[in-house]
Amino acid sequence: MAYSEVENVAGYVGNFTVTVRKKARYVDVKECTACGDCIDVCPVTAPDEFEEGLSTRKAIYQPFPQAVPSAFVLNIDECLGNNPIACGKCLEVCDKDCIDYDDKDKLVDIDVGTIIVTTGMAVYDPTELDEFGYTRYENVITSMEFERLINSGGPTQGHLIRLTDLKEPKTVAFIQCVGSRSENKGNPYCSNICCMNTVKDCLLIKDHYPDVKLKVFYIDIRAFGKGFEDLFQRSKEKGAVYIRGIPGEIEEDPETKSLKLYVENTTEGGTECHEADMVILSVGVHPREDSSAIQKLLTLQRSQDGFFLEAHPKLKPVDAATQGVFFAGCAEGPKDIKDSVTQAGAAAARANRLMMQGKVSVEAITSTIIPELCKACGICVNVCPYHAISCDTEAKTPATVVEAACSGCGACSAECPFGAITMKHFTDKQIESQIDAMLEVDPQDKVLAFACNWCSYSGGDLAGTNRFQYPPNVRLIRTMCSGRVDKKFVLRAFARGAPIVLLSGCHFADCHYINAVHWTQRRVEKLWDQLEKKGIRPDRLQLEWISAAEGQKFATVMRAVEELRQKVTPEEVEHTKRVLKDVLEPPKKDPAKGKPAESESAASGVAV
Amino acid sequence: MAGEAKFTCLRCGCDFMLPFTPGVTEERTCPKCMSNSVRRVKQKKD
Amino acid sequence: MANLDGGGEELRVGVFVCQCGHNIAGTVDCDDVAKFSEGLEGVVVVYNNKYTCSEPGQLEIKKGIDENNLNRVVVASCSPRMHEPTFRATLVEAGLNPYLLEMANLREHCSWVHMNEKEAATEKAKDLVKMAVARARSLEAQDEMVVPITQKALVIGGGIAGVQAALDLADAGYKIYLVEKEPSIGGIMAAIDKTYPTMDCSI
Ligand code: SF4
Ligand SMILES: [Zn+2]
Repeated sequence: MAYSEVENVAGYVGNFTVTVRKKARYVDVKECTACGDCIDVCPVTAPDEFEEGLSTRKAIYQPFPQAVPSAFVLNIDECLGNNPIACGKCLEVCDKDCIDYDDKDKLVDIDVGTIIVTTGMAVYDPTELDEFGYTRYENVITSMEFERLINSGGPTQGHLIRLTDLKEPKTVAFIQCVGSRSENKGNPYCSNICCMNTVKDCLLIKDHYPDVKLKVFYIDIRAFGKGFEDLFQRSKEKGAVYIRGIPGEIEEDPETKSLKLYVENTTEGGTECHEADMVILSVGVHPREDSSAIQKLLTLQRSQDGFFLEAHPKLKPVDAATQGVFFAGCAEGPKDIKDSVTQAGAAAARANRLMMQGKVSVEAITSTIIPELCKACGICVNVCPYHAISCDTEAKTPATVVEAACSGCGACSAECPFGAITMKHFTDKQIESQIDAMLEVDPQDKVLAFACNWCSYSGGDLAGTNRFQYPPNVRLIRTMCSGRVDKKFVLRAFARGAPIVLLSGCHFADCHYINAVHWTQRRVEKLWDQLEKKGIRPDRLQLEWISAAEGQKFATVMRAVEELRQKVTPEEVEHTKRVLKDVLEPPKKDPAKGKPAESESAASGVAV
Repeated sequence: MAGEAKFTCLRCGCDFMLPFTPGVTEERTCPKCMSNSVRRVKQKKD
Repeated sequence: MANLDGGGEELRVGVFVCQCGHNIAGTVDCDDVAKFSEGLEGVVVVYNNKYTCSEPGQLEIKKGIDENNLNRVVVASCSPRMHEPTFRATLVEAGLNPYLLEMANLREHCSWVHMNEKEAATEKAKDLVKMAVARARSLEAQDEMVVPITQKALVIGGGIAGVQAALDLADAGYKIYLVEKEPSIGGIMAAIDKTYPTMDCSI
């Protein structure tokens, strides 16, 4: 389905329902033979995106000659035809009658078992790097524009020419790492492909124009792949000169439009000036802007560089944390064609492995309603991000959960004022027994932290793998989502003498349960008010959003909470314990019963 | 409806203004220490 | 002893402390942690392994379950995000419900992040095991829901990776939906002239 976008995703592994928007193309794909009659008559010209704007196209066009599907598309914003009196020329000439100005976007629902995300990357726009003068100087172009110039199907039929005088350049300079490996502008990471791309470009130029002089300005040349070093050496043999150092500035000769590059040669030392007729910026890549839309739809995570985050870098490099979703290609990180194809094969195999079993078991972490306690208030219906709960508040019949739709965040369980919802494998009793065990001895020395499985707990794991050191006073309790953390857990911890409690969860954009994390925030805000009313410093309850990629932040937060802990006085803790005494009754002896938290959140769940 | 409100950071204690719309839950960060323990200062008519 | 679980069965917890070679044992005193664990309520047996996730380590779990009639297992090793699936499978092989497993994260959340504070790290490790045992005591068996998988796949993005993945899956006999935002598939690669390392054309 070309010219389509994913609009919505519902369901879960094995059973996704995906809504796809088929964008209006205004041309019947089946009928169109790409004869080109319409192009001849279309009066509108626009820059050709495929040719990097180096040539023009009409308002009705074929993206590029080998396009699949081989059919035209009409850009309605540029077309005059939607105003019938104005134009309508293409409609007249089309033998096949395949143009329809009234074409509309269509929404179609499809059912799938697995999803592979291969949304690719975007190319860095170097305009912001003023020193290179891209867009100011016409003979400074990007490596993508160069691809179209040297392509025999491109706007110049493959002739390498300067855009100012249409003459062949005598000297061509490449600048590496444009928009990559920079702390200031662009991206901090290595874009992986640009070194080899330049090596390839050098060979291409030398093949067609052996006399053109080539200079490559670089930081390091990273030719690590199979056969890469060989290509690199070949480009040197053919005469490409590699100079270590990135030009600090480019100047244009106003007359000849040639360029002067000022560079500090870091191998030989000293500042040099090189002249070139044409400069090609070897631009890096970055995540696509629309990645965040896909991220939301599929509840994916992204690493700090903005590319999608794999479930485990070594054990599950093409799996997403969301079951049934896989990655391939540059969506997961910058990579070349070979790696993309390799990864695509891996992703296909992983998807196949899942689908060929025909069935899948889903983790039994779901919510259960205890009908005897349910007062049919209907609150949970609005809490559930998946609309898994229904409740007839009029008829006062207990709420019901569609287990298959429940993803197990536990927000409903924490929000239910009557303790009528319990979470399998994360029952009140299970969590409370962890709190009690932790705070039984020397509670004043410890920080109790709740962490959600997908983000903050993983952030803690990452801190571990990176060996980021932090004070050993904190102990984590894992829940699937921070939305599971009931008010009464927090109060219980304080009642047991915890000096500091930390709630940590996903950033709003990363929430694995659509927006369950909103409930965390709201609950914490209420708790702050409640604590203050009781004369307990609200800042003893801390809230932090830590993603799976933020190992550094995790360690920083752990240091910060430990600092706060040291400021909590024993008197304060004693006072808190006294004020919150009620929270703990009935006493520990009877673990079969839940503990009422506040008068407002009456009886709690009998842990099933 | 949308406007600004005063917030206080429960980690470092500093005060600052941030966009605020009643009823909308947003992720907030202290501009000074980057903590997310950001609490709205309830207006007591000042 | 009133050491019963929800179903009225006597609680028999086994704790498997993992050294992870030097990864945990280099910072945390695993012997001390193991000794401490013996005294915890409901614990009937404690093992101290070099590598619990290895074949011999898993065998020991199975043997431990068998010989001691364990009905709860605590593995004190690395992150559950790494090896929970591994050990759940071990429990299943030993005839236990996989949800009767609890892990204490002594590596990512302890030994690796408190490398210069061995004593405090050991104390923390004890707490983590204690919390895990406490939680394990109230764990219950769960049945996983088994759902059928639709034999179709969606590929989002028609660049080289998407096309390749779609073709591979189509060859394997599945119906594939390939969704591409632009009017044509091909992605960025289609705009490139020749490609390395083979130096042939891209389309
Ligand atoms: S646990 Fe979360 S997903 Fe499941 S029913 Fe409750 S709110 Fe919905
Ligand atoms: Zn602050």
